[in-house]
Amino acid sequence: MTQHTFDQFLFVGLPYICLVVFFLMTIYRYRTQSFSYSSLSSQFLENKQHFWAVVPFHYGVLIITAGHLVALFIPRSILAWNSHPLRLFILEVSALAFGFLTLLGMVGLIVRRLGNAKVRAVTVVSDWVLFGLLLVQVVLGVAIAVFHPWGSGWFSASLSPYLWSIFLLRPDPSYVTAMPWLVKWHIILAFVIVGYFPFTRLVHVLVIPNPYLWRKTQVVRWYGKR
Amino acid sequence: MSGRALSGRLGTGGIGRLAAWGALWMVPWLAAGRLWAQDPVEFFKKNCQSCHTIGGGDLTGPDLKDVTKRRERDWILRFLLDPKGMIDGGDAIATDLMARYKNVVMPNVPGMNRDLAEKLIDLIEKESALEKSQFAGVQISTRPFTAADRELGRRLFYGLQRLEARGPACITCHDVAGAPGFGGGHLGPDLTQVYARLGGRKPLSAWLVSPSTAVMQPVFKDKPLTADEILALAAFFEQRAGQTPPHRAGARVAFLLLGLVLAIGLMFAFDTIWKFRFRGVRRPLIDKRRSTQAA
Repeated sequence: MTQHTFDQFLFVGLPYICLVVFFLMTIYRYRTQSFSYSSLSSQFLENKQHFWAVVPFHYGVLIITAGHLVALFIPRSILAWNSHPLRLFILEVSALAFGFLTLLGMVGLIVRRLGNAKVRAVTVVSDWVLFGLLLVQVVLGVAIAVFHPWGSGWFSASLSPYLWSIFLLRPDPSYVTAMPWLVKWHIILAFVIVGYFPFTRLVHVLVIPNPYLWRKTQVVRWYGKR
Repeated sequence: MSGRALSGRLGTGGIGRLAAWGALWMVPWLAAGRLWAQDPVEFFKKNCQSCHTIGGGDLTGPDLKDVTKRRERDWILRFLLDPKGMIDGGDAIATDLMARYKNVVMPNVPGMNRDLAEKLIDLIEKESALEKSQFAGVQISTRPFTAADRELGRRLFYGLQRLEARGPACITCHDVAGAPGFGGGHLGPDLTQVYARLGGRKPLSAWLVSPSTAVMQPVFKDKPLTADEILALAAFFEQRAGQTPPHRAGARVAFLLLGLVLAIGLMFAFDTIWKFRFRGVRRPLIDKRRSTQAA
């Protein structure tokens, strides 16, 4: 397989496969198993470690994802904000801090699941696969922020047009094929996670209205056999 | 729900329905793709003029004026459809061209097809017959650099002044001596010595007309720098060429530590915000009892 064909597969074929699986299976699962749209919280089983893992993870990943979406949908706003070096540095340090929060939370979640027998008992294989994918993805993101700055700018300039070329069915992988491998793996893994999304507890992010961000904490308990 | 559980629920009928949904979902997009047939002039502007002129001299690739007189139409057609394939296949002319143009391989252009390639060849033929083609390229002034040019170049590099076509500022991906704070980005090379590295003003200016690296080319193909911006940046790089490239190890550690400190600060903030969170039933009761007894 030539490099050109390999790139076509990774940055054109794979994204479409993952997007089609995402759309079809998300709808299918909602239509057939609506009540499985849940995060399947294990907070009731263990609450102390839970707080120090789930809170930083969620606030970290929400802010970071929001940043990626702003750069995707209104890249000019990011480039305009970055038009003064001080503002660029403030944005990048903040993004790195939320990246660390996500990483800390992710490690906390995995340690809790491994270390607590009750929580481990309600963890299935697809959870471990998802945690593995997310952990690698977050590590890659933090590494990119440190080793290939300034991502807020070049995401807006290079990755946003690439993603739009995919969404508009005029795929142009030339924006990304010459990127460093850390960046390429981050993109590939992002699409893999999107494709794997409907088979995991991640579907809870689609439940609308979503009061997770502002509601008071609550205890969830299971009655059914798992 | 695990993948196995979900796939187990998919019968033959279910797979059929999924396939039908998929096909329906793709129809509007495919139709839209058909409707956006390419105008060769627009296509040339977006995909070709960053490396080629018609009558304006060589850039990264050769000047295309009268190319239809130098090469057979069928060869040009085949080359446009799959330049990389022709080079890989050992075509003598393609290999010779690559060697003459600093081993830069012309990439396979997304969206290229036989019909469009025919139209592009017609366009090149038509533009070659004109006294001055609209694709003759940007003409850069050769007047001496001034302090105002260097200042404008500095502002453009740091992003303090936006590029006219709204491309990203150089600092996004490149560092340079004298850059403030944590310095410039590290996606691309340090540009302190770029003026000398490319061989001075003329080659540097020609390079900036059509940045040819695989990362920059797609970004700047429809956001080209203006002649004034190229002049200013060349003046800025000439000024920086006398300085030593910066060492940013300290700045990187500071960047990392600042991010870490902010993250730890946020953890303290979370702990404060959720001070009265549920922490348990039995243990808090025992602690409360003990503290009462101790008092």
